[in-house]
Amino acid sequence: MRIAEDLCNGCGECVIICPTNAIKLIQKKAVINRDLCVECSICYTNAHCPVKAIKPERLKWPRIIRNPFSSVIATHKLTGIPGRGTEEMKTNDITGRFKKGEFGFSIDVGRPGVGTRLSNIELFTTKLAEIGVEFEEDSPVTALLIDDLGHINKEIRNERVISAFIEFKISPEKLQQVFKIIKDVEKVIDTVFTVGVISKIENNDITSVIDLINQHGFKVAPNAKVNIGLGKLII
Amino acid sequence: MKKDYVILACLAKGINRETKKGREGLFRIAQILSQNNPVNIIPEVTWKISPVVTAVYDEIETVKKIIKTLKEEDIGISIVVSGLISEIKKAVEEIGLNIHTVHLSLGTFGKKELLPSKKVLELTTSCGHHCISPQSIKHYAKLIKNKKITVEKAVEKLAEPCVCGIFNNSRAISILTELSELDI
Repeated sequence: MRIAEDLCNGCGECVIICPTNAIKLIQKKAVINRDLCVECSICYTNAHCPVKAIKPERLKWPRIIRNPFSSVIATHKLTGIPGRGTEEMKTNDITGRFKKGEFGFSIDVGRPGVGTRLSNIELFTTKLAEIGVEFEEDSPVTALLIDDLGHINKEIRNERVISAFIEFKISPEKLQQVFKIIKDVEKVIDTVFTVGVISKIENNDITSVIDLINQHGFKVAPNAKVNIGLGKLII
Repeated sequence: MKKDYVILACLAKGINRETKKGREGLFRIAQILSQNNPVNIIPEVTWKISPVVTAVYDEIETVKKIIKTLKEEDIGISIVVSGLISEIKKAVEEIGLNIHTVHLSLGTFGKKELLPSKKVLELTTSCGHHCISPQSIKHYAKLIKNKKITVEKAVEKLAEPCVCGIFNNSRAISILTELSELDI
């Protein structure tokens, strides 16, 4: 995104609305910090610039990768759905992706709202690849991996996005290793991340899953996403 | 959290996302969600094109009523309810359904000092895609304090960038009122 300096009247609407605080008023003109800008387009779509000074630009590689990881209305070609993740457990009652006993993980790097360089993904993916997790093949982050070792293309490592969703699943015996990776990365990462655990439930027994997670020193939040099993394969 | 529930219906890629029946079913679900006084709902223009529809409610009883309707109509599309686990579990059991899969949150890790205050965060995270900026919350809190905007209008403005319709306007009114009384 760019702001036409000659048109800007310094009203500051775009400064207020920018989710990554990448726009500042300098000498009464709005200026975008190109490094902090994640190309989410919110300034363009929602600041209602009274002088139409905010101008979308044709993004070039590698900067273009910022947009689908940051814009809520951009749809990743791979997932076909808006947003940064996949259907994951939302359609598990139809797809059967997560089977009894398996654990799914979603690590959203840069969330909530701080943002991240794509290089931070590698802090997780290289270690996760070592222990042999199954990365979700439809995930936009998985599409960035260039080898089985969990590396991403060097050209995009410095690109900044609002968040990047690492999705994978494991068998129960790898649970401890994954939790150790999370604890290790937390010590060195320069941004925030959230962690979600997905589990298929038998006999409405969520408690045993929560207890298992608690045993590894993690605390489960009282709120969650719950698939209530109304999906059917018939349509 | 007892007043924040999201119902999401999602078509499955390669199964019902591309079928006429899937699209019709999702549209019907959007109608049901809309008829039950949502606090917020994904814009109607997207109902026929988006693979997901979402709506926010502030009462578990409303959520329960909707789940019951969805069960009776047997549309066959995946439904996910977000909110307090204990309340959702109770509602689902009372209707005679079984929880299929859960996505549990373990919280936030890493450089938490980069995050805004807890109250501001409650609002920014109300939009799942983080389209609401912390500085816009502070901006509107000040305007409310100086009686330059009503809290209702401020929440309407705040929610604008969140196009997926999961921003909880009703909860936002109470948080923003609280913030406007503080020096932030």
